[in-house]
Amino acid sequence: MTVKIPLYGRIDSNNAAELERSIFSQLEGKHAASVILDAEQLRYISSAGLRVLLRVKKTHPDLTITGVSSDVYEILDMTGFTEMMNVEKAYRVVSIEGCEEIGRGANGTIYRIDKDNVVKVYKNADALADIQHEREVAKLALILGIPTAISYDVVKVGNSYGSVFELLNARSFSKILKSDPAKFDWCVSEFVQMLKRIHRTLVPKGKLPDMKEKALDWAMFLKGHLPEQAWNKLYALIDAVPTDDHMIHGDYHTKNLELQNDEVLIIDMDTLSVGHPIFELGSIYNSFVGFSEVDHEVILRFQGFDFETGKRFWRHSLAAYLGTNNELKLREVEDKARIIGYVRLIRRAIRRNGLENEMDRREIEHWTAELLTLLDTVDSLLFSGNEIEVEAIDENLPKVQAFIARHLAENGCPMKARMQIEVAAEEIFVNIAHYAYTPLSGSATVRVEFFENPMSVSITFMDHGIPYDPLAHREPDVALSAAEREIGGLGIFMTKKIMDDVAYEYRNGQNILTLKKNL
Amino acid sequence: MTILPGTIDLHMHTSVSDGTDSPEDILLRVREAGIGLFSVTDHDAIEGCRRILAVRKAGDPAFITGVEFSCRDAEGQYHILGYDYDPDAAPINGVVQQGHAFRMQKIKERIDFLKERFGFVFSQEDIDRLLRLQNPGKPHLGNLMVQYGYAATKDEAIKAYINRMRSEDAYVRPEDAIRGILESGGIPVLAHPAYGRGDELIMGDALKARVKRLMGFGLRGVEAFYSGFTEKLRNEMLSIAETYDLYVTAGSDYHGRNKLVALGDTGMNGITEIPKGLIQFLQRIEEH
Repeated sequence: MTVKIPLYGRIDSNNAAELERSIFSQLEGKHAASVILDAEQLRYISSAGLRVLLRVKKTHPDLTITGVSSDVYEILDMTGFTEMMNVEKAYRVVSIEGCEEIGRGANGTIYRIDKDNVVKVYKNADALADIQHEREVAKLALILGIPTAISYDVVKVGNSYGSVFELLNARSFSKILKSDPAKFDWCVSEFVQMLKRIHRTLVPKGKLPDMKEKALDWAMFLKGHLPEQAWNKLYALIDAVPTDDHMIHGDYHTKNLELQNDEVLIIDMDTLSVGHPIFELGSIYNSFVGFSEVDHEVILRFQGFDFETGKRFWRHSLAAYLGTNNELKLREVEDKARIIGYVRLIRRAIRRNGLENEMDRREIEHWTAELLTLLDTVDSLLFSGNEIEVEAIDENLPKVQAFIARHLAENGCPMKARMQIEVAAEEIFVNIAHYAYTPLSGSATVRVEFFENPMSVSITFMDHGIPYDPLAHREPDVALSAAEREIGGLGIFMTKKIMDDVAYEYRNGQNILTLKKNL
Repeated sequence: MTILPGTIDLHMHTSVSDGTDSPEDILLRVREAGIGLFSVTDHDAIEGCRRILAVRKAGDPAFITGVEFSCRDAEGQYHILGYDYDPDAAPINGVVQQGHAFRMQKIKERIDFLKERFGFVFSQEDIDRLLRLQNPGKPHLGNLMVQYGYAATKDEAIKAYINRMRSEDAYVRPEDAIRGILESGGIPVLAHPAYGRGDELIMGDALKARVKRLMGFGLRGVEAFYSGFTEKLRNEMLSIAETYDLYVTAGSDYHGRNKLVALGDTGMNGITEIPKGLIQFLQRIEEH
């Protein structure tokens, strides 16, 4: 049981005893009650009043004082009261009237309140727990290396709460795309880089919710809406996705990506989860395409750019994310993403307005038809990305080779080039396994990407070991006899010979070696 | 005398001042509460102590005389406790009489002020009853105003009317109170130091300066254990006692039904080490 008691005006020796009696008469017979003293109207408290608080605390240990003004807070802090009881400061009141909306997420809308600050206003009126959750997950993300903004203040906005972030001179990617179409390719590249960074991040167990659980819930919601057989298949498809401890953002689109000076930040972290990237791709598909499939104006209202731009952005991002332009491969992964996307859209529309509204009904019919078609043909939601991260040890060489071979085969790479690439990749990987972390160990990431004009493939090796440029090594004198040659250096020499380009750079604490082969 | 910490309460009020228990009742309650050592500290009055001494029996909790003087000078307001004095000594009775005279003078001035300024009049019978109280003050006058319908609540009576009187109030000066206690064989102690006379908050350097100044008059101790202190405040008081080598005392400021402070609640429960200043205080009163 919680008893809430308001405090007013001044509490001093003139009225402290009276207040004490009033409080205790309200608490009579409620010994185990949680007590909230609402100090929103309290302007001043003298030491006579402090004694009353202490008295309440002694009889009702679960005591919280809310809405404490900064003057009163200072007194409580100085005297050690903040250490003994829950003291919650009053929230600054912020008006968003006339403020520019710069972002919108599942749980709230972000407005710029001045040049350097933005406020995220939560939809839920009782959002303090949500705010606390977002703060915690944002902190976790930051610790794990994801650049984001963490709120520094909680404010009151009308009847709801907002959290305030510092976002200096930042522009969202949606805005950049709208105002500067020439930056399209740059936006795609940064958008995908950040996405991969998030998806590469391993999250300690139990720290973030599992997106698969949520997806199963969405599917449950559609039971009855879909024909039984289709629904069974849908549920089985989602259920077959393996659990995954890598991070996913959950609401990743261009309004949540901000360019601050030269740094790209991801904001709106409340949906941060772990799971297979297919769940993320489903939600990205919705943001750029799915939402607006029936009503093309939706994306214009939401992102500020048109449906065609959205579709193009999705396709380019997917290609960059998968490292391929192979239309079949892109279509295959897109179809898997659409299944997740439609499930979410249909559930959302039904929950919001049901089937009453004409537009909603048309959308639900369309998404449902698309979903049923997809369920006929798609047999797995799994796909392989174009990156693999392994511990850099000799034993993992077969794994890396198999990964590269599969991608080369999928993209129709000629046999001769495949063999050459495999030789070169072995040299580089073994080199990392032997030298990068000695005497410790660490991970290596291998990425396969395909390009057109000219048709080419690139294999990128990344490690966090000691900075080492193998290309700076003096080329061996092959004219010398085997006995006279220096040890080492030969592997990289061969690699350079059989590849069309080999480049090294050290960036963000990583050795990055890229092999390129024209096909 | 073996006194367990947590069974010491050297600060409580009887109906002689603004408490609700008579001295005889408070003795019963102290016994029931299992208190091992206590003192009665009425505001500017020692009558309660005389009565306790008169009714104490063998086997009762240990008792020392006490008083709480309301003092004021140009530097501020103080509550100064006096312990273990001789209740028949002239100096302490002099301070009590001075305090009482000032209070009576003030209450009479207030009655005149209410009449002249607002036209509030009381029957002579009620005025006499008020003046017969040991220490009539603003709350008593406020209650009377409520009875007459001049104000809705005591609080309103005090704030809206009684406090409008601005006068050069006569108060007992701290040096006089301290001297009176010392010359009667007693120990002067600063009550709830961080809370000044009740509404203030005095901490850090301001508090040290105040304690040092009062030590110049002969102050011997601080009430570091007090029902209204947080751990942080208590620790600051203990550190001051340590710094200036002062006695440490413990008090609840029990007022009976007027405030809901429990007898024996001094914040001393749970401490792991009895401060040196408290041990010395206990030794001092034992020797006496």
